[in-house]
Amino acid sequence: MEELKDSVYRELHKVIDPELDINIVDLGLVYDVNIDTNNNVQIEMTLTTPGCPLHDSIVSGVKNVVRGIDGINNVDVDVVWEPAWTPERMSQAALKILGH
Amino acid sequence: MIPQISSTETNIKLPFSFIIFSLVAFIVSQGLFFFGGDYIVNGAYRVPLLWSSAHLLVLGWMLMLAMGAMYQLVPVVFLTPIWSEKLGFIQFFISSIGIVAFSYTLFYEIEHIAYTASIVIIGILLFIFQMYKTINVQKEKNIMTVLVGSALLCLFLTIILGLLLALSLTGHATIDHLPVLYTHILLGLVGWFTLLIFGFSYKMLPMFSLAHGFSMGLSTWVTTSYIFGLIVVSMSFFYNSDFILLVGSILLLIGFALFAYHMNQVIKKRLKKVLDKPFIFSIIAIGFGLLIHFGAVIAILFNRKDLFIVLAYLYLITWVVFSIVGYLYKIVPFLWWTHKYSKLMGKEKVPALKDLMNEPLAIPVFSAFTVGALGVGLAIILGSTTIFQVSQAIFIIATTVFSAIIFNVLRK
Repeated sequence: MEELKDSVYRELHKVIDPELDINIVDLGLVYDVNIDTNNNVQIEMTLTTPGCPLHDSIVSGVKNVVRGIDGINNVDVDVVWEPAWTPERMSQAALKILGH
Repeated sequence: MIPQISSTETNIKLPFSFIIFSLVAFIVSQGLFFFGGDYIVNGAYRVPLLWSSAHLLVLGWMLMLAMGAMYQLVPVVFLTPIWSEKLGFIQFFISSIGIVAFSYTLFYEIEHIAYTASIVIIGILLFIFQMYKTINVQKEKNIMTVLVGSALLCLFLTIILGLLLALSLTGHATIDHLPVLYTHILLGLVGWFTLLIFGFSYKMLPMFSLAHGFSMGLSTWVTTSYIFGLIVVSMSFFYNSDFILLVGSILLLIGFALFAYHMNQVIKKRLKKVLDKPFIFSIIAIGFGLLIHFGAVIAILFNRKDLFIVLAYLYLITWVVFSIVGYLYKIVPFLWWTHKYSKLMGKEKVPALKDLMNEPLAIPVFSAFTVGALGVGLAIILGSTTIFQVSQAIFIIATTVFSAIIFNVLRK
């Protein structure tokens, strides 16, 4: 199961926020990944701001990459606003891209 | 609890219809303005050529663009979908026909402007109705609702006053022409556009600079001061009082200065250290706007109302147009990217938004815009047709290149 979870995270690195040109994992947008015994995946994530115009694009990107993993059944993406995203969730790699 | 919506996407054909119309109107209006050089530098502003050019610029370019941008931005800012996209297309159709016909009659058939103005008014009223229905759904109103709502109210009052002016010009109504004309210009240029830009800036500036952890406290003072300033300046026209005009202008200056300070606070809290160049242009426009508000107060204090035409021109171009042009560099690639690449995300490599726009060209284009606009302002002060024509030619080139950059996005 952990191996499959690692694969999910690896694939999520391929989903790039086109405005910032940074992947959603390094941006700290992915809160949690749960995989049940039937290999259904539930991803809890957020966006940097409510009403982000890229909401639909990013959610569909997440579904597309995860569906491409062998053995995965359904993919459910839950976009939440609590807890709100904060900059502290970003990785050093993301901060570096932003000029820090 | 923050309301959640599953989709913020508008059918891109709707905002794009407005944007493409506006770009063509922008080029044509600037071309007409070029041929009005002699009138401008000699202070003959009330001539058909300039009426036509000014309304094509303000209605055809700025208003149509603002409406197109709102069809995309309102769902983003207020978290509510557009009430009726079908009404949006009908409204586009009526507005565009009305604006072309209105500009034509201003130029050639002034006796018919009440009819063509009515078509424009119907188009704008439909837009205001659409926005009212859309924004009214918003569950938790905030300061952006107040700003954009007030902007829409200013737009409504502007067209009512414009209709009165058209009826008066054609002998269908008797009104005190000048106070109505000045209030029409004030609410249309200052009220509608500035409150609208203020409102959207509170969402877009933090969003594009990735600013977090700033206070919104000042925004109430910005809004209150600016709206009171508009009311007091309007009153000064009807009471014909320079003192009331001065008080109103100071209120507007305070409101704008607070806004500029607040935006500076937001920018200081940004995570994106290196800002996109076109976006910086929108921020520079705030500086121009502040200087112009300051200039207006000085002109009133020293009884130099003759400078108002230069200030109004610079206000229109260096604050309103520059703000819009800077934001367009963000809005257009986003719309096109969503249309063309959104569904491919996660399936194949897709470009970043900034890859769709020619960013290196932004600096020369924006520099040319600035040199052209300041040159036209200088030409009016000095009364020089030559400086006017050279500056306006530079501005037209910038306008054309900018429009080409925007159209080029649609090929990527």
